[in-house]
Amino acid sequence: MPNEQTSVPLFVANTVLTASQQNLSAGTGVPVFATTVTRDAAFGGSNKALAEGQLCYLSSTNVVQYYDGAAWATVGPSSAGGLVFLSGTTFSAASTVSLPTNTFTATYQNYLISFNVTAASVDSSVISVRLRASGTDSSAASYSNAGVTYQIGASTIGAANILGDTAWKFTQFNSADRNEVVLTVFSPQAALDTNFVWDTYGRVGGSQGGGHGNGEFRAATQFDSLTLFPSSGTITGNYQVYGYAIA
Amino acid sequence: MATQSHKLFTQDGNEYREFTDAEYAQHAIDKIAYDAWIAEQAAKAVAKQAVLDRLGITADEAALLLG
Repeated sequence: MPNEQTSVPLFVANTVLTASQQNLSAGTGVPVFATTVTRDAAFGGSNKALAEGQLCYLSSTNVVQYYDGAAWATVGPSSAGGLVFLSGTTFSAASTVSLPTNTFTATYQNYLISFNVTAASVDSSVISVRLRASGTDSSAASYSNAGVTYQIGASTIGAANILGDTAWKFTQFNSADRNEVVLTVFSPQAALDTNFVWDTYGRVGGSQGGGHGNGEFRAATQFDSLTLFPSSGTITGNYQVYGYAIA
Repeated sequence: MATQSHKLFTQDGNEYREFTDAEYAQHAIDKIAYDAWIAEQAAKAVAKQAVLDRLGITADEAALLLG
């Protein structure tokens, strides 16, 4: 690369400053090296002595580094966190809400999806989810899930179980309050069963409450998205999708 | 697009659009299943109340017995 250099000259009295040296200095500001090997070779000896505060750019890894007096450390770009934001949007008066096509890719294995439903037009409509591929929901009778449900202010613990249904079905939407649906979906893009864990807050049996459980889509179908929908009416709110970083 | 007495819309990624014919058809199937589930739940509630009436106890009292 044109900015890369192999030495960091130390100028002393009567040293000739060449045009190329001046151009390189003025053009880069921060010295650019191909690799950590050429970087380390460029300091010391007849060159400038490496000292704390020195900056550099490495072409091989596209990072900026600083020398702290003992070792080089990377300034940036910072590495991605454990959860990587993929997409999100608001929705209003929607009968169904689908994540963008190709939300699930080979880049990530597992996904965290948070739906915040601020309004549901029909009370106690069932929270339902279908997996989706190439813009079409799958209504195959391959959805199963099980879990426990809770009613706030009551000691009742119920169950939400389906087997071989045409959608995952959990608790219900509460039209008088906010609702939360959090899904962790495992390997939807792989040719494997798609497993998932769900948490909800909204309605349970006419009372305020929620639930927690897990389930699967028992077929080796590869999906790139999913759809949330109430069994009746429309929903308003927003969602965010995150990929779990693999490494 | 199918003729609908009540149009339905989806938030498809960043696009808000009316249901396709296939989506309307699936919605109709889902509605039949949902209505059947509602009827089943209502029938269960009626049957449960009938048992409680025969026993002469409330649902809370029944829960105490089962707890």
